[in-house]
This record gives sequence, structure tokens and C-alpha cells, in this order.
Amino acid sequence: MRRLLLHISALCLALAALPSGQSPGTGRVAGRVTLTARLPGRPLPSSAYPRRAIGDHDAPPLPQIRNVVVFIKDADYSGLLTTSRTAIRQEHETFVPRTVAITRGSTVEFPNGDPFFHNVFSLSRAANFNLGRFKRGQSRGRQFTKAGTVKVYCDIHSHMSATILVFDHPYFTIPEPDGSFELPAVPPGLYTLVGWHERVGERIETIRVEAGKTASVDLTVPVPEEEVVP
Amino acid sequence: MNQPRHPPRLLVKAMTVAFGTVAVLLGLVFIVVTLSVRNQVRQTVASNLESTQRLFAAFETRRQHDLRGQAETLADNATLKAALDTYQTETQANLTTVRADLLETIDLVLDRAAARVESDAVVLVDSHHVALGAAGRMADRWPRNRHVSLVAGTAPGSTANFDGVAHMGDQVFRVVAVPLVLEETAIGTLYVATTLDQNYAQELDRLAGTRIAIVSDGLMIATTLAPRASRQFESALAESLPVDGAIALDGESYAFRRLVAVGDTVFYALGSIDESSQAAMRDSMRSLALIGVLGIALAGVGSFWLARTLSDPIGQLSSSLAEMAASHSVHARLPPTGSSLELDTLTETFNDLMASVGQAEAETEAAYTGAIRALATALDARDPYTAGHSDRVSALSVAICRQLNLPAADVEIVRLGALLHDIGKIGVPDDVLRKPSGLTTAEFDVIKQHPVLGARMLRSVPFLAPHIPIVELHHERPDGRGYPFGLRGDDIPLDARIVHVADAYDAITSARAYRAARPHAEALRELWRCAGTEFHADIVAALANALPGVTSDVTTHAVLDQG
Repeated sequence: MRRLLLHISALCLALAALPSGQSPGTGRVAGRVTLTARLPGRPLPSSAYPRRAIGDHDAPPLPQIRNVVVFIKDADYSGLLTTSRTAIRQEHETFVPRTVAITRGSTVEFPNGDPFFHNVFSLSRAANFNLGRFKRGQSRGRQFTKAGTVKVYCDIHSHMSATILVFDHPYFTIPEPDGSFELPAVPPGLYTLVGWHERVGERIETIRVEAGKTASVDLTVPVPEEEVVP
Repeated sequence: MNQPRHPPRLLVKAMTVAFGTVAVLLGLVFIVVTLSVRNQVRQTVASNLESTQRLFAAFETRRQHDLRGQAETLADNATLKAALDTYQTETQANLTTVRADLLETIDLVLDRAAARVESDAVVLVDSHHVALGAAGRMADRWPRNRHVSLVAGTAPGSTANFDGVAHMGDQVFRVVAVPLVLEETAIGTLYVATTLDQNYAQELDRLAGTRIAIVSDGLMIATTLAPRASRQFESALAESLPVDGAIALDGESYAFRRLVAVGDTVFYALGSIDESSQAAMRDSMRSLALIGVLGIALAGVGSFWLARTLSDPIGQLSSSLAEMAASHSVHARLPPTGSSLELDTLTETFNDLMASVGQAEAETEAAYTGAIRALATALDARDPYTAGHSDRVSALSVAICRQLNLPAADVEIVRLGALLHDIGKIGVPDDVLRKPSGLTTAEFDVIKQHPVLGARMLRSVPFLAPHIPIVELHHERPDGRGYPFGLRGDDIPLDARIVHVADAYDAITSARAYRAARPHAEALRELWRCAGTEFHADIVAALANALPGVTSDVTTHAVLDQG
């Protein structure tokens, strides 16, 4: 097993200047996520149906850091949520990207990029749906109207999975490939900041956000102890 | 009293030897067969176990492979994975609520899986080794939220993909585990579990044709051995036991072999050497018994035949000899037996011996007869009137014998007896004998002594014994007025009667000093006249019939004698 140790060296960002565009009366949270999980580098020899090689060029996999979501837990937000329309592509028998964070009311499209049928379904409490099977070039979409974690799967390819985090506030982000993240315009207060990875777990930090200031935090998303193999 | 021991009969001896030989041979064959059968059975059982082991190993590999394939197909179930993943995600996020609907989904999928796979339980285990659901016959041994303790048999390094043994309560399961993979990560494990119980052992026993013992962690969990043997094998396992070998269990000899080991569980095959050798022994004993019976029968028949071919001719010979001894006939020849050269040679030699003995005896007899004839002739010659008398009486007597159809041997007795009938007259003085007439009573008494005298003479020569009655009794008369004893009728032997009549006839037809010879017809008339009193009538009749054949002879003699 190839170890893919995503170790992005911690580098504290001391951001001196306030970036432009920040609303007055709010603070800013910035930092860097270090992912120290050991992730399996290739599939376990388990599937009775070997993966089909699609073309001779595999798309470069997204860095694992892109499967991390940093968000403020249980934040109150009374303003109007801006909805978005994102896409999770189905290609090479995977969902790309595998992790998506959206605001409540946003829509996710699932375009099929593979030359065979795919399916999208979910058993999650926040969204229990089945978009049925559809062929290449087609796309199905769904609006997520309830906050929570929605795990989606393909019932044709049982190894495929993606996670959609639906928030009813805008204080979430997916870190940049270098691990840095930024949550602008957070009302001052004491918050629980969560660094979440779909499989390796989450890390919680308490932060204090002050108006006009940047709360600096580094998150090391841990390896769950059960999965430590000596 | 010391009873003289008779040697055993030839038949008994031959049969004893034959049976003894066969018995010894059978005994030796029995020992050899017993040893070799046992040895062969031991080897056969061992090699059977070896092939059983190979077969079982192949069977197990194949079976595990098949089970793994089935399990992998079952594990590649999107609903199961989605339910598990969603359940884990949501119980992680919010432990206070349990997604019972997801567990129901899991149970549903597992139920359908259990129906499709040949196993006792299909179990879903999460990434923390906790059972989340189970289906199948033995599902109750895998309660939800129970931690699953496993002893891995193969490759524990590959997270969740292994064969092993699970101890769930009192039950031991053989487990094929395949991971549920989601995006290259194992989110849980699907167990396809087979109960290692008595049924499993019996199934193996039936397939392999040997006793099976399944031992887990030093404890016998299932076996087709008898309880006592099982306990003994268990305690033998407590000490270290090699992979294969022989062991005595409950007084029986077993060959054993380790079939396969999974984790802490080991499968043993055991073959009873005694049990197998009993069957083989039974077969060979049956053949041996058959051969024995046939052998004994053949030996009996053979020795009986041999003894009979030897003893029968010998018995025949000895009975012939006994007959010869009883009849004093040395001239009879023993017939050749034709049974064996040796016996025939013996017979021939005996016959030669007897021939020479007979010859010698005949010579002796001839010499005696010659001497006596000479004596008789000399006696006849004392009186010119009686010359040739003895010869004539002999000839007449033989003629009468022939007329009466007497056997040749009797005729011979009569011939010589008649020749000697007056031999006693040797003791009668010449003057009495030759006296022409008028014998006094005293003189006649002297004459009357001659039969007794002649008999006394003959008694000194053993082979003349048959002729004694003729000499002694040829003057006895049927009316009892004869001499010397005055016997009556049938008390007088036939020989003597014949010679009496012949003597009288010759006397009448011969001349005497005191009278002339009388003719034949007159003589017969005279004889007929005295028939019944002086002579036996049937003898007179025989003479009358015989005379035409002999008279010429007799008259010629008489004429010559007279001349």
C-alpha cells in the first residue's frame, strides 16, 4: 500500500493587513489545514467487477485537501443565503469532486461523463433521494433544502461516493490546495471551528472572532486511532 | 496287563500325516497373512489419509475461493454500502439518534445475501469490529453492537480481507471476510460464516471417508470420533502432536493427519487402522478358511486314496494268503494287484517262492507216493491171485468217483487211498493171506486187523492223512456188520464206500486159490444182491454205470494178471 501522507507543513500566516472587501463589524478567520491521514493509495483488491480503464489518460486526482471542509459549527445566520449551482461530475467511476459544501437551497448537478450509465442516490436524513439511472452526457440535479450531511452513491458502481455538506449559514470553505483557508465576514463571537474530512474525521477548535481582526487558526485533521496500524 | 500295542492302520497314518501337514501350512499362512494384512492396512490408511488431506486441502481452497467470490459479490452492494456509510456518518455526527431505518435496510440486504450464499451466517461488521447486522441460520449468534473477536487465519495485514475463525459465545465459525470498499477505503467488513459444528464434521467425515476432529484453541469443538477416543485425542493434542502419525485411542490404533489449520483452529483426519484391517482380515480369513477347507478335503481325499491304493492290494494279498493258509493249497498263485510295481514284485516273488515250495512238496509227495505204490505193489505181489488188485481197485474207484461227479481233489484222494487200501495186509502173515480156503475164526480175525494196521502206518506220514479213512474204513458195511468199527450207513465216509464196492467187485472178478474168476455180470448181480446191506446201493449203481468204460481196461488187467 502506498502511503499518501499529505503533510502540508504548517505555516502560520500572520496576515497583517485586512483584506479589502471585508464588511465592517465583522472579523475574519484564516489559517491552514494540515492533513495527517494515511489514505489508501489504491483500491483494495475486493471488487468482483474490476474497474474499467477509461481512455488512456486518467484525470489527475484532486488533492485530498480538497476533501476537507472548514466550517463554523451551528452558527446563527439570519441573513439571506446566497444559493449556488455546483456540479459533481461522474467520471472514471468516481464523483469529482468528492466533497462539496453548499448553502441550503443550492442545487447540485450530477453530469455523467462516463460512457456508461450512472445513478445517484442518497439515504441521508437531510436528503433521501434517488435520481435514477442516466447515460453519458445527461445530467440530473437536485436542490438541497435541508442542512446536514448528504452522502450520495451510485447504485451501479458501489464503490463511488460523494459528500455534500449543506449549511444554513455561509461560514464554510474548502481549503486551497496548499491548505490555507479563509472565512471572511464572520460576526464577532466565540465559535467552534471544525476541520472535517469525509473519512479521516474532524478536528474542533474554539475560536474567538473579533471585529476587524483576523482569527488565526491551524487545524491538523487527525488520523482516527482505530486506523493506526503499527 | 500290558496290552500289546497294534500299530495304527495305514489309512489312519496317512490321513494323520496329511492333515497335520495341512494344519501346519494353514497356521503359517494365517500368521503371514495376519501380519502382512495389518501392515498393508496401516500403509493404506496412512496413504488414504494423505490423499484425503490433499483432497480436503484442495476442496477447502476451492470452497474458500468460491465463498470469497460469493462474498465479494455480496459485498459489492451499493445499497449495503450506502446504508452502512450513511449510518456511520450520521451516528458519528449525532449519537443520540439511531437511524433504525438504515439498520432495517442493512438487514434486508443481508437476508437476501444469506439466501444466495451457502453459509450459516452473513454478518455486516463496521470499521470498529462491531456487528451491525446478521442474517442466516446462525444469525442469533451475532447480536447487533456486539464486538466481534476474530482469530485471523490469513493475511491479517490486509485490513479486512482474510479467512479466519470467530468465537461467538459457545460457537466457533469459519469466516471468510471481505471488505466493503467505498472510494478506496474499507468502511466495513462482510463476514460469510460457516458453523464449525457436528454437522460440519459429519459432512467432512462423509466426504473424506475418515474420522474428523476439529480442534479450536486446544478444545475439541466437533468430531466424529467416539466420546472416549475424542477425549483422549484432545489430551494428546495438549502435548505437542506432529502433523501426522499414529496414535492409540481407546484401545484402537489410529493414523491421523492434520488437514488444515485456520487461525487457532485445526482440522484433523483420523483413520482407524483396526477398523479397516478388520474388514480386510475378514476377507482374507474367509479366503483362508475356504482354502483350508478345500485343502483339508483334498488332503483327506488324497491320503484316503493313497492309503487305499496301498492297503487294499495288501489286504487283498493277505486275505488271499489267509485263504491259501486255510486251504493248505500251496499251488494257487496270488493274482498280481496291478497297484504298484513293488507290490507286484512282492506277489511275484511270493508266487515263485510258493511255486518252488509246492514243487518241493510235490516232489516229496511223489517220492512218498512212489514208495507207497512200490509197497502196495510189493504187497499185491505176495499173493499171485491179488497181483494188480490195488491198481485195479484204484482205477475202478476213480471211475466211480467220476460217475458221481466228485471234485478233482477228492478223486485224487480216492485214487491214492484206493491204491493203499490194503497196505495193512503187510502185517498179515503169508500163510494166512495165501491160505487157499477155510480160514479159521482166529485167522480171519488177523485178516480183519489190516485196515487198522494200515491206518496206523499212514498216520506216521502227515500228507497221507486224507487217505486214512479209506484205508481204515473200506470194510465197513451199511448194515453195521462191517469191520473194524461196525459203522452204519451214512457214518461211513463216501471214499471208503467207493473203495469198498470197487474192492468187492475186483475180488469177485478175480480168481482165487479156492475158486475161479467170475464174470462181470455175475459180479454185478452179486453186488446188487448185497446192495443195501453190504454195499451202498448208489455206489453200486455208479459202478454199474461206470463199468462199460473201465471193464475192458480192468479185464485186460485181469487177463494179463492171470496170464
